[in-house]
Amino acid sequence: MAKRLWILALVVVLIASGVFGCSKPAPPSGGGDQQPESSEAPQFDGEILVGIMVPVTGSEATYGQDMENAIRIAADEINAAGGVLGKELKFTLGDDGCDPQMCTAAASKLVSSEVVAVLGGYCSGATIPALKIYGDAKVPFVILAANSTQLIDENPGWAFMINSPGYHQADAAADCFEKLNVSKLALVHQGDGFSENLAELTREEWQGRGHEVVAYDVVNKGEQDFSSLVTKIRSSGAEGVYWTAYHADGAQLIKQLRQGGYTGEIVVADGSSSIQLLEIAGAAGEGVYCTSPPVVEFLPAAQQFISAYNKKYNQQPGPYAGLSYDGTYLLADAIERAGSTDPDAIRDALAATDNFKTLSGTIKFTPENVLEESNFIIIKGEGGKWVLVE
Amino acid sequence: MKDKQTCLQTAVDKKAKKVNNPFVELIDRFYVLFDNKKVRYSVLAAALAVLLYLPMRTSMYFMEVMTNVWFHVVVCLGLNIIVGFAGLLSLGYAAFFAVGAYTTGILILHYGVSFWLTLPVSVLMAIIAGLAIGGPTLKLRSDYLAIVTLGFGEITRLAARNLDITGRATGLVGIERPTLFGMAMVKINHFYYAFLVLAVLAIFISYRLQDSRLGRAWKCIREDEDAAEAMGINVVAARLLAFIIGSVFGALAGSFMAIKMTAISPESFLFTQSVMILLAVVLGGMGKIPGVVLGALAVVVFPEVFRGIGKYRMLIFGAVLLVLMIYRPQGLWPERHT
Amino acid sequence: MSLQEIVIQQLFNGLLLGSFYGLVALGYSMVYGIIKLLNFAHADIYMVGGFCSLTILTFFGNTFIGNRWLGIVISMLITMIIVGLLGVIIERVAYKPLRNAPRLSLLITALGVSMILYNSVMVITSGEYRAYKTGLGYEGFSIGSVFVTHTQAILIVAAVALMFVLHLFITRTMYGKAMRAISMDLDCCRLMGVNVNKIIALTFFVGSMLAASAGMMAGVYYGSLHFFMGFVIGIKAFTSAVIGGIGVIPGAMLGGLLLGLLESFGTQIPFIGSEWKDVFSFSILILILIFKPTGLLGKKESERM
Repeated sequence: MAKRLWILALVVVLIASGVFGCSKPAPPSGGGDQQPESSEAPQFDGEILVGIMVPVTGSEATYGQDMENAIRIAADEINAAGGVLGKELKFTLGDDGCDPQMCTAAASKLVSSEVVAVLGGYCSGATIPALKIYGDAKVPFVILAANSTQLIDENPGWAFMINSPGYHQADAAADCFEKLNVSKLALVHQGDGFSENLAELTREEWQGRGHEVVAYDVVNKGEQDFSSLVTKIRSSGAEGVYWTAYHADGAQLIKQLRQGGYTGEIVVADGSSSIQLLEIAGAAGEGVYCTSPPVVEFLPAAQQFISAYNKKYNQQPGPYAGLSYDGTYLLADAIERAGSTDPDAIRDALAATDNFKTLSGTIKFTPENVLEESNFIIIKGEGGKWVLVE
Repeated sequence: MKDKQTCLQTAVDKKAKKVNNPFVELIDRFYVLFDNKKVRYSVLAAALAVLLYLPMRTSMYFMEVMTNVWFHVVVCLGLNIIVGFAGLLSLGYAAFFAVGAYTTGILILHYGVSFWLTLPVSVLMAIIAGLAIGGPTLKLRSDYLAIVTLGFGEITRLAARNLDITGRATGLVGIERPTLFGMAMVKINHFYYAFLVLAVLAIFISYRLQDSRLGRAWKCIREDEDAAEAMGINVVAARLLAFIIGSVFGALAGSFMAIKMTAISPESFLFTQSVMILLAVVLGGMGKIPGVVLGALAVVVFPEVFRGIGKYRMLIFGAVLLVLMIYRPQGLWPERHT
Repeated sequence: MSLQEIVIQQLFNGLLLGSFYGLVALGYSMVYGIIKLLNFAHADIYMVGGFCSLTILTFFGNTFIGNRWLGIVISMLITMIIVGLLGVIIERVAYKPLRNAPRLSLLITALGVSMILYNSVMVITSGEYRAYKTGLGYEGFSIGSVFVTHTQAILIVAAVALMFVLHLFITRTMYGKAMRAISMDLDCCRLMGVNVNKIIALTFFVGSMLAASAGMMAGVYYGSLHFFMGFVIGIKAFTSAVIGGIGVIPGAMLGGLLLGLLESFGTQIPFIGSEWKDVFSFSILILILIFKPTGLLGKKESERM
């Protein structure tokens, strides 16, 4: 019996460290409980509790962690400058795991810890069920990254999207392809709500402009081999491929498209704007375009934020760090303008936001609580890095 | 051959008895006590009173988790009928509650049918699904059956993802919540009670089934198919019924899930979901109703309790599972063989 | 591309994909044949193989510059041994104590092992994708507009060679004979003086070795690794093993190739398209099992002996 236990312990240790331990040291953990390092802490008159709802486990954990980090940097700055309404901004985390069921548990958890407002929302599919919960509980919700058009239809009025919705992106993509002189387009999505929605919007936009969609295909999540799809795309005579899903599989697709002898243009959507796309795709990533959300790297106003992020977390901010940082400031500003933590007042203040200046541009909402102007930019892979295309 | 194996088995059992520590024996003694009808009913009544009272005292989050527990109790008991009672290994159970959830969702969203009227349709669809999966596969050996059910599960999910009527990858969004006796079901407490009622019903029906003629037929088939056939049991009919009843449990739970979530998408019916349910059934103790309930409780509550440890959560879950199975392979609360 | 060229290209795609499936399916089939266990952890062994080889490759990074294939071959051999041993340890710790337990408990144990494996890799890699850089280019040869890179050609040859060696091992050696005998009757073998525990351990060693080699090939070919990469291929390989007749070694290879071809041609079918590809494969699986309930090469046997 004891012997068996020993072997068990041995194996757990072996698995955990021995076999492949040195592939890369894990980055320091999120630093969720780090206190702001200020020499003289300002005096606060109570605290304002805000919920963060992002995935910190599961396949999309990297993005969620990145968003949480950015929110905490913004909060440290706000608190160092005296907080909101003289109160300290504090956070509690709800992990939605990018899964609808976990999302309802996380949203309920935040509501029952009586948060004043919620920041977050990365996966559209795992944000939709939360809309109703926050609406019923009257909690203002600033959606930082999720941007499926479904969110607009399901919004009971308490959510505000600060990332441009899908139709802005479809528009940006169509513009990009027209500039590249493409007329036969192949669309590939990954069979989830977000990427299918974007592919569908792009198809409508592209056909509406009088062009042809020659292939409309799906890659199942987790598959590694796309060679037969590549052959299909090649045989359809497509001049441009638009990948509407995420970076990891996107990199695979780009690689295999080039490997399979495809020579046309490739454009990827915002879920693929991570630098990891270029790292994994290697040489095949050269000349790939991307319709990207406002990534901080390309924003002149964001240099200070980037260095703060670097200093605190010892890594580069990810694609949604900028929006998360902006959203935190937006919410703080709205609470300040509302003059209290009354939910109705905060909601009205958010809705009344008029050209609020942020890193990624100015924020003004339509009556549907969606950004008025598109904030998409076009970037291109060059020399293993993303560069801004004018 | 058979004799030799039983002989070996008894030898192993004897060995296992010796190494049992007092703690495990104490738990087992409690189980035996619980099998006494009087004790069981009084314990159950007390538990039910606490459960009914809970929503008045606890937070919304706790209610959400408990509602999820009741949902899992229903689906696990449904799968228990297929796997535990009839001994048919199924790896595609998520397909059954997908059938229920989508039937309800489509009827409410596209045809404006009242939720309560969708339930009989849901049951009907579940019967059809049970027949479709059970029918062609009855002659297969158990492991082949496992892969076929897996295949059916995947086909159901992919069809839901590709068809327009099921809302493709986005799924169905904005399913209207019903009213009950003029009261709108909107709060989590309402769903807590709804799923609690479903769970109690499922437990009751499972007990009745277990002791019924059909239940005894299943048990007989599970132990020895040829002998069962020789005794005049209609093996094909009994197995089909297991699939059908199991699928009805799943579909009803799925229908209620659809109105609770108000949005369903193919991602809620992944293979991993089926595996989690199977895990709950086997972990608790196949074929033993209190065991299955315990298993359902464990798979829902464990990850929630250990949410604090973040990414190590599932790792520890796996390790606990492994250790549990090595030291207690028959499940937490196994069926007693007399 | 002409129709003919499309067919040839898809045929090639299918063969390559199928040889990956086949390599992983062999492990499922061998383990099933010998202890009647659906080893869910097998797909994760494939994934661990990929990561392990990447670690070794990075570790020896400087030594092998300029000798890309030499580096790959050496780290592949080391990976196969390490991961093979991991397979043996898993069997010893998790499966052996349960040899007489109900079969479903064994299945759940396998699930537990699978969870431990992929979650530990997730923790170590923080859930990120890792680029697998080998410095291999896209040079290749084309026949008409059918394009084949050298890497692809070498991988197919390697996979087929591995399968052939395994086939020889099973049919020609003493150990292979012992494995086949155990799959027929374990208790009888024990009485006849076969060291059953040793042979079962050996089976896990060989099966894990093959999965690890497939994992490494996937890394080399697809260029990235992820802790969840075993999941889909695990289901597909399991399907392949069943199509061919689980427990039958040539069946696993045949099933793998067949499924690979089905998928690549399934993508190309007009009006159905790639979204129905898996529905197509699983439907064929179900049809095969309905008409030939033990798989293509499976022998007829009743459940009871």
